[in-house]
Amino acid sequence: MVVLRRGYSVPEHVSMFAVGAASLGAVYPAVLAHTGWPGLPCPLRTLTGVPCPFCGMTTATVALSHGEWGSAVAANPLVYLAALLVACTLPVLVARTVGLAGGPRPWPEAKRHQVRLAMAVVVALSWLFQLHRFGFI
Amino acid sequence: MAYAADSSAISPAAYANWGQRVGAYLIDYLPIFVLELIAIIFHNPIVFLLFALASLAWWIYNRCIQAGNTGQSLGKKTLHLRLLSEKTGEPIGAGMAFARDICHILDSLACYIGWLFPLWDAKRQTFADKIVGTVVVPE
Repeated sequence: MVVLRRGYSVPEHVSMFAVGAASLGAVYPAVLAHTGWPGLPCPLRTLTGVPCPFCGMTTATVALSHGEWGSAVAANPLVYLAALLVACTLPVLVARTVGLAGGPRPWPEAKRHQVRLAMAVVVALSWLFQLHRFGFI
Repeated sequence: MAYAADSSAISPAAYANWGQRVGAYLIDYLPIFVLELIAIIFHNPIVFLLFALASLAWWIYNRCIQAGNTGQSLGKKTLHLRLLSEKTGEPIGAGMAFARDICHILDSLACYIGWLFPLWDAKRQTFADKIVGTVVVPE
């Protein structure tokens, strides 16, 4: 049986994940230093040498959570997009959680298509950035 | 209930969310983590091999046979979730459950981004779910 529950919107889900990732990012260097664990490598870069569009996100998240703005953007500028998303959706998320706002309403398909297209462009640009960062272009 | 016909007709809330799926996954792999931890503590190659075989047996039983035939691995059963075919709404069988877990390798390929797909996907599917045509739903 499928139970329909009040959910959160996609930006809110991504924001919740980003907040969790930033919290982990704050303690991540200490965990690595304490355990000697090298951290999670990108399998694509490990296997082929070619970075993926999301390479550097861990470094960028850790840098941003420690206030190292320049290091964050140098590793992956996508982290600023995630931070902007969190800043914009957090008030809505809090309002919804405490019951001040109702459930999210689905966007029209045309608008969702526009967002998907915009995200595809952002990911493509991020890949170009990473390819440049690792000396491929 | 089939889940494929019109994704806009079913709310994303009808599918298990990312947190629930991560929770189920962690429960599924907890016994393997414990076994490997014990093997590391023993620091004996025979014990390590035995525990590795036990881990493999657990994975086949839990993630392939149980999840494939009933839709519920230990983790999904604990969190009241079910793995189903998006076309038929029925459990997918042990073979497809095995294939799905193998496809999870692709979820990891680009910085593990495939594992995050349920955060924004309309059917809350991972990349592996899309390949084998499965959805995870709450009971």
